[in-house]
Amino acid sequence: MAEVQLKNVSKSFADTSAITDMTFGIDDGEFVVLLGPTGAGKTTTLRLIAGLENCDAGSIEIDGTVVNHYTPAQRNVAMVFQQYSLYPHLSVRDNLAFPLRSPILKTPEDEITRKVNEVAEILHIPNKLDNKATELSGGEMQRVSIGRALVRDPAIFLMDEPLSSLDAKLRADLRVELKRLQAEMKKTLLYVTHDQIEAMTMASQIGVLDEGRLVQFGTPRDIYQNPNSTYVAARLGQPRINLLPSGLFGENGPQGASQIGLRPENIEVGKGRDAHILRVEHLGDQTRLHLKFVEHDLVTLIDAHSDYQEGETIQISAVDPLFFDAAGSRIS
Amino acid sequence: MERVASATPSPIAHSVRGLSDRAIAWVFVAPTIFLLLAINIFPLIWTIQLSFTNYKANRIGREVKNVGLRNYERILTDTDIWLNMQATAHFLFWTIALQVLIGFALAWLINKKFKGNDLWTTIIVLPMMLSPAVVGNFWKFLYQPQIGLFNYIISFFTGVEPSSFQMLGQVNLAPWSIVIVDTWMWTPFVMLICLAGLRSIPDYIYEAAEIDRASKWRQFWTITVPMVMPFLMLAVLFRGIENFKMFDLVVQLTGGGPGSTTELTSINLKREAFEKWRTGYASAYAIILFVTVFGLASIYVKALNKVKER
Ligand SMILES: Nc1ncnc2c1ncn2[C@@H]1O[C@H](COP(=O)(O)OP(=O)(O)OP(=O)(O)O)[C@@H](O)[C@H]1O
Ligand SMILES: [Mg+2]
Repeated sequence: MAEVQLKNVSKSFADTSAITDMTFGIDDGEFVVLLGPTGAGKTTTLRLIAGLENCDAGSIEIDGTVVNHYTPAQRNVAMVFQQYSLYPHLSVRDNLAFPLRSPILKTPEDEITRKVNEVAEILHIPNKLDNKATELSGGEMQRVSIGRALVRDPAIFLMDEPLSSLDAKLRADLRVELKRLQAEMKKTLLYVTHDQIEAMTMASQIGVLDEGRLVQFGTPRDIYQNPNSTYVAARLGQPRINLLPSGLFGENGPQGASQIGLRPENIEVGKGRDAHILRVEHLGDQTRLHLKFVEHDLVTLIDAHSDYQEGETIQISAVDPLFFDAAGSRIS
Repeated sequence: MERVASATPSPIAHSVRGLSDRAIAWVFVAPTIFLLLAINIFPLIWTIQLSFTNYKANRIGREVKNVGLRNYERILTDTDIWLNMQATAHFLFWTIALQVLIGFALAWLINKKFKGNDLWTTIIVLPMMLSPAVVGNFWKFLYQPQIGLFNYIISFFTGVEPSSFQMLGQVNLAPWSIVIVDTWMWTPFVMLICLAGLRSIPDYIYEAAEIDRASKWRQFWTITVPMVMPFLMLAVLFRGIENFKMFDLVVQLTGGGPGSTTELTSINLKREAFEKWRTGYASAYAIILFVTVFGLASIYVKALNKVKER
């Protein structure tokens, strides 16, 4: 395992600029999650680190060595591809064993069998080992693809939305499992997702991407509590942060504040200004209120057992809102 | 509504309405079935029947005697025919081996992304588009001992006197002269099929293999070859069947000679049937060839399906 550094990395394809001036570091044994909407450049970042693309500017270091001109094999990275990329003519077993059969490693065959079985167990696919790679469901292919990375002991694991096509339960299981493996074996892992729950639960550091730029990098807690822009604030938190023009609650924000951000925990129900309940959603463990406040739509959470009804009017007030300027940057 | 309906000529509309769907289906399929029976099945049955007789097609009035299995017996014990069979096998083996090797190598090179590979593909494919008669004729010129370019080039590289050997006239060289021409003409076909196979392998598989630290050599043997194999086997099947009945090139180049060194079974069969007019005997010969090809092809197709399933 090793640490990885990106320094001022840029990459463009023809006239689209996929990555612009990206700098961040992944410490040894850390679990870093890149979060961003589709087209933000997440896959491109992974491919640059893996050596499948060459960067136009900047440098990539693994363990202190600049690897810009290294081949993927020399970089010794393991990658889970977004589109699975299994070897279609091989069985699941042979797919999993493929990286171990690399002549560089000279793994003995019984060691290979042991590792393959172990990984298949973790990913709940031991009964599929003799299937051909094409005779699997999408979710099974995705797990084989994760397994093909897990059998290795690379400098860094790169995972591109590895849990995206699994059902909710399996996703939750594997999320825990991956995190456990990573923590136990002190593996360095760079993980791409647009699922904020995955980001919040697994990451030791989160990087938020916007159109090829890294807009904020920090611990999940830090990013959640101190987003530096409305863009970052909107990426984390369920339901999403509510953005309103400032001044509606009579709060006195800092100089230049033009918007306030209210997460459900920033909205106190029971006193303050009138809001109209448009809809009540019971989600079991929580209840969501969709409100009309002045001209604006708000969503907030309340105790699951409260019995507010559609059409009622309630009072709300803002508690410690986040302030943003007109361009969306955080002020305080 | 009324006017549109009456625009359909009523007798046809009426008679179509009188038929069931099943009957209409039969009406459409009937011409094909008729042609199939007339052109394939009937001649086949007739040939089988003739193969048990001493019928001669140029003696219409002669009494036709049933000779039982005599024709088959004579063919299978005829050493000359076994020599023809050997010549055919030799020709098949070498044309297929060379075409597969060269065709695959060319496809592999063309598949590398370089500038102008479309142009190269077109140039390489040209021989395949020529008529075999034309190809046969101009290779005859190329093989000419005194003025032929082929002899000249060989002599240029080896130093042998150009007029000291005759590709078409020497017993030891004539079979190879045909192998060379057929390879020249049909390698592009094998190349095209291999190219289709190579293009069907998505780039991301090679990317995954790069990441898995497989060398180029290992990628070639564990990814490229197995994934192209079904295509390659298909090309071999096509070429095998085509070359088993190879006729046109040989007639143009050597006509079966010198002696009968290049007399492939199809040439031999044509001689028996349309020069010696031994129709019954030739029919038996044709049936034997048919069974051979059919048998080999079905074994081969089984193997092909196995490879595809893997
Ligand atoms: N090979 C390529 N050629 C041209 N443009 C590309 C190529 N690969 C990526 N891009 C462009 O680069 C940008 C970033 O793409 P990337 O695949 O990194 O997005 P992503 O964040 O992984 O998105 P998603 O969540 O949908 O996978 C996109 O605008 C995309 O169109
Ligand atoms: Mg992507």
